[in-house]
Amino acid sequence: MGPIARGRLSRRARTRAGAQSGFTIIELLIAMVILTIIMASLTSVLVSASHTEIDVNKRFQAQQNDRTGFDKIRRDIHCASAVTQTDGTTTLTPGTAYTAITVTLPSQCPTASSSQTTYATWCTLQSTLNATDWALYRVASTTLPPPTCATTGAVKWVDYITTPLGAVFCLPGTTAPTACSGVQKPTNSLPLLHVALPVNLNGAASTKESYNLVDDIALRNGARS
Amino acid sequence: MRIPPRLARLREEDGFTLIELTIVMAVLTIGILSLVAAYSSGYVAMKHATRVSSAQLLADSQMERFRALQYTSIALNTSCGATCSQDATYTADTAYSSTAQVTGCATQDQTCLSTQIKSGPDTNSYRIDTYITWSCLSGTYSAGSCGSSNPIPVKLVTVVVRQSGTTAVLVRQQSTFTSATGS
Repeated sequence: MGPIARGRLSRRARTRAGAQSGFTIIELLIAMVILTIIMASLTSVLVSASHTEIDVNKRFQAQQNDRTGFDKIRRDIHCASAVTQTDGTTTLTPGTAYTAITVTLPSQCPTASSSQTTYATWCTLQSTLNATDWALYRVASTTLPPPTCATTGAVKWVDYITTPLGAVFCLPGTTAPTACSGVQKPTNSLPLLHVALPVNLNGAASTKESYNLVDDIALRNGARS
Repeated sequence: MRIPPRLARLREEDGFTLIELTIVMAVLTIGILSLVAAYSSGYVAMKHATRVSSAQLLADSQMERFRALQYTSIALNTSCGATCSQDATYTADTAYSSTAQVTGCATQDQTCLSTQIKSGPDTNSYRIDTYITWSCLSGTYSAGSCGSSNPIPVKLVTVVVRQSGTTAVLVRQQSTFTSATGS
């Protein structure tokens, strides 16, 4: 704006341009209070959203691991020549729930280590992430007796399992056993292994958000009876 | 005195009219509503995906039971009263055949039931319909045969998983079983 333009300004405009009054302290205080209220409510929404995000992520991972672990068990059991107790020789008693089993994998099995007869032990231990939950491990060896669950080299597949006492495996008999949640082996059928891996981040007592993955896996190399 | 238009605008004290404001609010509302609609359709799609994957697990599990069975034992149980009844939803399915149905499962096993209600991994309730019919790889099935010079009939097992209480099909699985594979 040149000096000529400035000369043309009206008196009122010049007065306003020269005015130096700002906000009063009252106005400022009111504005700050309103801003604080809005920010506080926004922050609480953000905090709860981030909590939800963490929870959803953990739940997603637990369920994903559950499905992956189940796939691995299925591959092991479908190819197994024997499913026994953890010594690798004693057969499972029908209608009894077990915390650990040993799967004998012949050398041609895709899950056998380095094309040798492999003894894979699946077992549960108390979860380190949630005291009331259980975690499922797999440990493999090519010699008998098979290593136990606590051995280093055991791989954790599933966590946050809520099965009572971690007894996730059960061989159903021809009568409905309570240990296998009432699952019964039909006559003229291959032996089935009932595997229950329900997961819940908040422990067995929680009824919300549980994911109950349960299946009966056929021992395909067994005899139909 | 002439005031330049730039300064004149500074001195104006007019705001928006009510009409303008209303139009802006209406446009904004439409925009926000379309965003909300996108969210809710995403939620519906996610829920459906969860149901389908749960239904898939149940169907796999049911089929696995039949794979474990002896060929001669693959049959439906249709003579156990109300538990074995086949309702309108069951018979309306394309896999249903009143004439070629394989029946005679003797055990009271759940696998043999035409319709089972089971709870899936997501704790929702699902309806599992199992159809077992005689089928021919070539020729037409009639009275235990596919016609001369045709292969022997096979058992066709169809597992249909529906959302409990509706007829909406979530998963359909089919497999044939032949006596040639041994028992």
